[in-house]
Amino acid sequence: MKAYLLLVLANIREFSRDLMTLFWFLAFPLIFILLFGAIFSGNGDLEFQVGLAVEDQGPAAAGIAEAMKAVPIFQITQGDREAMLAALKEGKLRAVIVLPEDLSAAMMVGQRVDLPVYYDAAQQTSREIVLSVMKDMTAELDRRLTGRPQLIGIQAEPIQAGRKMRDIDYLLPGILSMSLMQLGLFGTFNFVSMRQRKVFKRFGATPLPKWTLLAAEITVRLMIAVIQTLVIVFVGRLVFDVQMVGNWAVLIALVMLGATVFVSMGYMIAGFAKTEDGVQGIIQTVQFPMMFLSGIFFPVEFMPAFLRPVMTAMPLSYLGDLLRQEMVGASAMHSLAVNLGVLGGFTLVSLALAVRFFRWE
Amino acid sequence: MYAIEATGLYKRYGEVIAVNGIDLAVKQGEIFGMLGPNGAGKTTTTEMLVGLRQPDAGVVKILSMDPKKEGAAIKARIGVQLQTSALFNHLTVRETLVLMASFFPRCRPVDELLNLVDLQEKANVQTRHLSGGQQQRLQVALAMVNDGDLLFLDEPTTGLDPQARRRLWDIIEKMREEGKTVFLTTHYMEEAEKLCDRVAVIDHGQIIALGSPDELIAAHFGETAIELPAFSGLDDHMLAQLAGVSHIQRQNSQVTLYSTAVPATVGALLELAQKLGVSLENLMIRRATLEDVFLKLTGRRIRE
Ligand SMILES: Nc1ncnc2c1ncn2[C@@H]1O[C@H](COP(=O)(O)OP(=O)(O)OP(=O)(O)O)[C@@H](O)[C@H]1O
Ligand SMILES: [Mg+2]
Repeated sequence: MKAYLLLVLANIREFSRDLMTLFWFLAFPLIFILLFGAIFSGNGDLEFQVGLAVEDQGPAAAGIAEAMKAVPIFQITQGDREAMLAALKEGKLRAVIVLPEDLSAAMMVGQRVDLPVYYDAAQQTSREIVLSVMKDMTAELDRRLTGRPQLIGIQAEPIQAGRKMRDIDYLLPGILSMSLMQLGLFGTFNFVSMRQRKVFKRFGATPLPKWTLLAAEITVRLMIAVIQTLVIVFVGRLVFDVQMVGNWAVLIALVMLGATVFVSMGYMIAGFAKTEDGVQGIIQTVQFPMMFLSGIFFPVEFMPAFLRPVMTAMPLSYLGDLLRQEMVGASAMHSLAVNLGVLGGFTLVSLALAVRFFRWE
Repeated sequence: MYAIEATGLYKRYGEVIAVNGIDLAVKQGEIFGMLGPNGAGKTTTTEMLVGLRQPDAGVVKILSMDPKKEGAAIKARIGVQLQTSALFNHLTVRETLVLMASFFPRCRPVDELLNLVDLQEKANVQTRHLSGGQQQRLQVALAMVNDGDLLFLDEPTTGLDPQARRRLWDIIEKMREEGKTVFLTTHYMEEAEKLCDRVAVIDHGQIIALGSPDELIAAHFGETAIELPAFSGLDDHMLAQLAGVSHIQRQNSQVTLYSTAVPATVGALLELAQKLGVSLENLMIRRATLEDVFLKLTGRRIRE
């Protein structure tokens, strides 16, 4: 027990007295958040550049134009039809809506008018959104003009404390999962380089059990994981206004679990590989697919169907799911039992292999 | 009672046979030295004895215990200083000793250890700021942390200045007084001669001579060594003819005469030198050493 505590202390000292390592462990997740945050937070709110060509001088056209300008996701640019269509072709606009010349006159006599809506056929999302907004709007106008009462409506009830899920909300738990993975996997580097320098070799000639050394190493990694979590959540809150909706105690417990999974994997890899270079190779092949295929940065719906089974094989996707639920209240992908079961299983297997293949030098 | 018993130790790495059938029996309370050149197999032997490497063949018993069955009990009672092992860079000397001490059920007070290796002033310095010799002394202190009955020291004095080396010899002498057994390796014959009760001379993974330094020298030499200055230009054949010379040994340009009758040999040598007009400045007469034993047995010097 005393050996364990002193090894933990030795590790902390080794770590905290080495300013470079300290800097990188804290700076890396920060740089990542700020970078990703900056990239993704911009289009968190949808907005469409829509061109409007008003060719009718009557009151109906003016009314419709006003209504369109009031649509929050439309950024309206007004101009003549030719100019607007040219801008659409150049990609500056998502759609162009024309209020034709005889609009007011025709409406006055109760004749149906079709508003031409030009759009870029290649842009699926904008087409659907623009068209459905326009349909809603024309239906509403229609109803008002004909004086028919509306019998069925909808009442929007947003969940998650009235906030919508922005990209950054999805991303932040992902960044946390990723730093836990990197802490676990790359934390091994330090261990392997110390092993290569034969720091541990002489411990092999003492009664110190190997698992005590491993346990101390893992403990220190867990402490660092908690500190990283605090930094990430705090910066997410401060800079990108990502609210932590869950319970802190549960979050810390999940972070510990996540760190344990990857730290164990790291030591398992250290057991297999001989040199630092060997470890680096294995870690890269493990971490890159995991980073991009486990759905921590974008939802599963964005992934091609044939890659989805790959995702279910990755511990990172289960951790991501748990952290997303706890931090930003995202909906669950897997049940709690599945998440904990998979992560626990990965930990046990890697730990067993880590102790089995542990080498002092 | 033997502290170390080993029979038929054998270890090979690919083509290289590092240790080729070594038998050892080190008595309790003995200071036992293993003397040999680079690559002779000293480290490999030591590490097999302390359980850090598995021999390909052979049986080891340490303190009458079997390492395979009672490894933990053995490890609690031995102290080990390895030739290559590093320290936690950012821990201080004291922290390093305290950490190491925590691995053992019983240990010496840290201040006593610091005193012993003369590192009191460096107690609060991080190990990366120590000089090579200071690190080496810390390594020796670490081997003594558990006050073990049996110490393995792999080249403990390499890298030490002469003064620090003497101090370490004193420490080892003190171990002897405390009744401990010490197994050490070295390239330095004067170290082996001064410290060791018995010496095993090892070359190419085999013991080529074993005994107390005096026994070894007596067994191989009834003679005294006369070292001629390098490039004296004297012919080997002529030298071998001089009175009292039993044989000569030539190592590059350096010639050593082994003489059973020193006055006669020196007289004849001076005469010869005068006749040929050769300077004999730096001529040295000394008693034979383990170095000579090694030279005689292998035709090489331990350190070249
Ligand atoms: N792990 C290893 N892998 C391959 N060869 C090895 C290994 N360890 C030792 N050897 C070889 O075995 C031989 C003996 O090495 P060893 O380290 O035991 O010599 P030594 O007597 O301690 O030498 P030195 O005085 O230089 O410390 C050498 O030829 C060395 O190259
Ligand atoms: Mg050696």
